[in-house]
Amino acid sequence: MPPILPDFSSSVKLKYVKLGYQYLVNHILTLMLIPVMAGILIQVLRLGPEEIVNLWKSLHFDLVQILCSCFFVIFIATVYFMSKPRSIYLVDYACYKPPVTCRVPFATFMEHSRLILNNNPKSVEFQMRILERSGLGEETCLPPAIHYIPPAPTMEASRGEAEVVIFSAMDSLFKKTGLKPKDIDILIVNCSLFSPTPSLSAMVINKYKLRSNIKSFNLSGMGCSAGLISIDLARDLLQVHPNSNAVVVSTEIITPNYYKGNERAMLLPNCLFRMGGAAILLSNRGSERWRAKYRLVHVVRTHKGADDKAYRCVFEEEDKEGKVGISLSKDLMAIAGEALKSNITTIGPLVLPTSEQLLFLLTLIGRKIFNPKWKPYIPDFKQAFEHFCIHAGGRAVIDELQKNLQLSAEHVEASRMTLHRFGNTSSSSLWYEMSYIEAKGRMKKGDRIWQIAFGSGFKCNSAVWKCNRTIKTPRDGPWMDCIDRYPVYIPEVVKL
Amino acid sequence: MAEGTFIFMVKRTVVSTGPVEPGKFCHLSVLDRLMEQNQVKIVYYYPSRADVEPGEWIEKLGDSFASAITNFPIITGRLQKNTEGHWIVKCNDGGVRMMEAKVKGSVEDWLKNVDREKELKLVYWEDMSPKPYYWSTFYLQVTEFENGGLAIGLSCTHLLADPICATMFFKAWADTTLSGIMSTPPFFYSLPLSKADNKNPNQGSYTDLIDYYKSSIERPTPLITNQKYATITLSFTDPMVRDCIAMAQATGASDKSRSLAFEALAALFWVCLSKIKGTNGRLLKMSLCSDMRNVLGLDQRFFGNCMVYNKVHLESAGENMLPEASKAIGEVMKKMNAEGIKDLIYWLQCNDNQTVPLMNGYDFMCANLEGVNPYLATFKDRIEPLRVSYYVEPVTGPGQVLIFRSAPGEGPLSRVAMATLPEDEAAKLCEDDLIQRFSPTVLMGTNKN
Repeated sequence: MPPILPDFSSSVKLKYVKLGYQYLVNHILTLMLIPVMAGILIQVLRLGPEEIVNLWKSLHFDLVQILCSCFFVIFIATVYFMSKPRSIYLVDYACYKPPVTCRVPFATFMEHSRLILNNNPKSVEFQMRILERSGLGEETCLPPAIHYIPPAPTMEASRGEAEVVIFSAMDSLFKKTGLKPKDIDILIVNCSLFSPTPSLSAMVINKYKLRSNIKSFNLSGMGCSAGLISIDLARDLLQVHPNSNAVVVSTEIITPNYYKGNERAMLLPNCLFRMGGAAILLSNRGSERWRAKYRLVHVVRTHKGADDKAYRCVFEEEDKEGKVGISLSKDLMAIAGEALKSNITTIGPLVLPTSEQLLFLLTLIGRKIFNPKWKPYIPDFKQAFEHFCIHAGGRAVIDELQKNLQLSAEHVEASRMTLHRFGNTSSSSLWYEMSYIEAKGRMKKGDRIWQIAFGSGFKCNSAVWKCNRTIKTPRDGPWMDCIDRYPVYIPEVVKL
Repeated sequence: MAEGTFIFMVKRTVVSTGPVEPGKFCHLSVLDRLMEQNQVKIVYYYPSRADVEPGEWIEKLGDSFASAITNFPIITGRLQKNTEGHWIVKCNDGGVRMMEAKVKGSVEDWLKNVDREKELKLVYWEDMSPKPYYWSTFYLQVTEFENGGLAIGLSCTHLLADPICATMFFKAWADTTLSGIMSTPPFFYSLPLSKADNKNPNQGSYTDLIDYYKSSIERPTPLITNQKYATITLSFTDPMVRDCIAMAQATGASDKSRSLAFEALAALFWVCLSKIKGTNGRLLKMSLCSDMRNVLGLDQRFFGNCMVYNKVHLESAGENMLPEASKAIGEVMKKMNAEGIKDLIYWLQCNDNQTVPLMNGYDFMCANLEGVNPYLATFKDRIEPLRVSYYVEPVTGPGQVLIFRSAPGEGPLSRVAMATLPEDEAAKLCEDDLIQRFSPTVLMGTNKN
């Protein structure tokens, strides 16, 4: 379909009008203050120097008055600084890069599918169609246990995968930050589907010989948005404990969760979920301010579990043959849209510039009072953020969000390329996306990043970060050997 | 559990470490297409080593194999038929099936009691499935012996590789574990054609070769009977082979393209087996199979089928059977020159038909695999294989013998011969007078006490 050429002259005028309006409203305080300051300055200049000196002398300064004023000022300042929430810095993070030997090309995946499900050609066809349209590439990785025919998901193999992923990510984090294991005060591990006893956090404590008074938490069952829930928990803990380091490990262990049946709604996760993990170091220490990469600005959590449909839309259950799998309902996208709207309503006032908020308010009032048929105004979030990290849950999720938030292809590039190269790595995908933006050299000081994740429940969680210092293109990291090949063009349907 | 029993065997797929460019195809030559019904199976044995953890070797070999096959997209691809109804390989990155197995006992004990049936358990093979697009063309089996040692079995369809290039592939893989780089990467190109394309194929200097192929293609495929076969492995040391050459009065040592050791040993087996099979003083019908890479001027690393079959006949021999047999073989080998082979290739291309013969199922077949030395495949620890065995399956009809080199330390002319024959004849072979005169070591016998 040939693109319809827009009417250039009118759209350019509109653009300037918009820009003018935004500048006016966003800087209204400055714009009002300048004339006031100018007025005062003119007055002062008119008075002349002797007059100013006389004015100064006429103010009878009493020692007591001066002291009281000083104390008052100091008191207010102390109250202000004490009640300000501590700044939480993200010192650095490390993503796990799976070994090339775990790679699963489309052909191998389909062959395995055919060999394992040989009594159900329809299910195999279904998986093939999903894979063709999934947006995944040929370099995504599955753990070694899944390469066997039939897959061998033993407890030992699951622990093996957890050890490899988590320990690699943590080793990488220690190397990047120079952190010593004994300096970790808070440890939070989130892994939704694998929850052994002792927990994965205990496994980390055992491996690295962490302190006995460490505050450790293990979050399981919370889905793909658990990464941001862990960040929220870390933030709350860092408010209470001064001068502390918190390590958050986000991962998803694939080995025990490979669905072996042939119920279509449950086969989808097999096609999309892949190996991955990330370890993040958060700190509230003042000394980290200089080398930290990001500062945490907001975390907004929205839970739609009160609604039955939302609660059941991602549900782990047994199929007719008794095989356990995660069933995704057909209205997943609609529910995700609702959850997103809820989340945006909360986060909007926190991050949007005044111009957008005003417009939204006016349209809201207009819809309520004048004409309900007015289109709801979707605030332009591109003005609030420079970078977007949308959880790479699947191509449909990214497409939907791109449409709803009116984002350009470059804004969602990090998400799409992460989906292509690493697949859906669940809670850690946001970190791969951040890593992509850094690897492309696009992260500058002062940039604001919005991480959005959806998860079972149904939850929509957001985190807002501000870039603390311009980040040089890293020489290590998961994108190190392939960043030059990206971005790639991902066709709608890959012919298998 | 008794020694030699399999503790476990699991199957998985090994994928290459680098993605393949989409849309790549590999075409097969006329010589390739003739070999559709056969498979090549090779077993390499490696000795025990004290410093290796159980399971460690299997994992490391799997990983290094994954990076080795990145250079061979034809191995990781899948077969498809093109518009002309010929097989081609679609390089779709499907990977290679790998079996991991563990056996009780040690490799040294195994080798003492091994026979054909047992040895074939170390090589995994699946016949072409009805949907060849999902069928792996290569299979790797790594068997760890509980008390030490390792056996690596490589099998593949003869459609894609002959024993020479399969050996080269294995060596290339072993090299990657030594130095990380492949010192002998493969060459993929099409077979050379005759210079004059419009030459009448029937007007050649050597039409016997073409006639042999013509008759092979036209005759019906022999049925696979219930006949049980046994394989005998005989090792001939350097002095033994020299004696044999002397006895066979094989001449022409200056002609580099001919191998006196092969000619002498082939003649030896021809004479002995004719006696065992009872052909009344006449020599049985035998075909030779020889590598034509050197003859055609191709690099040794040429990947694909380049072994050509030809019939050798001698109506009757008098008293001096061995020298006359050797002379007949020598003459046939001399006639298989570049022109003759190119004419054959040209003829095959012009007379393209869909029937696929079983090239080695009719006459007794004697194959020359001297072009490569499998003992050069040393993995990371620079340890040579203890033993290497070759099989070209399925075996029907009178049987076959494969002659290949032995370990480098045993002398340039030392050879190993693996003869696959009907069970009763195999037993007689070891006891044959003529063979006993050279007293070869029996590495693998029939094991029937």
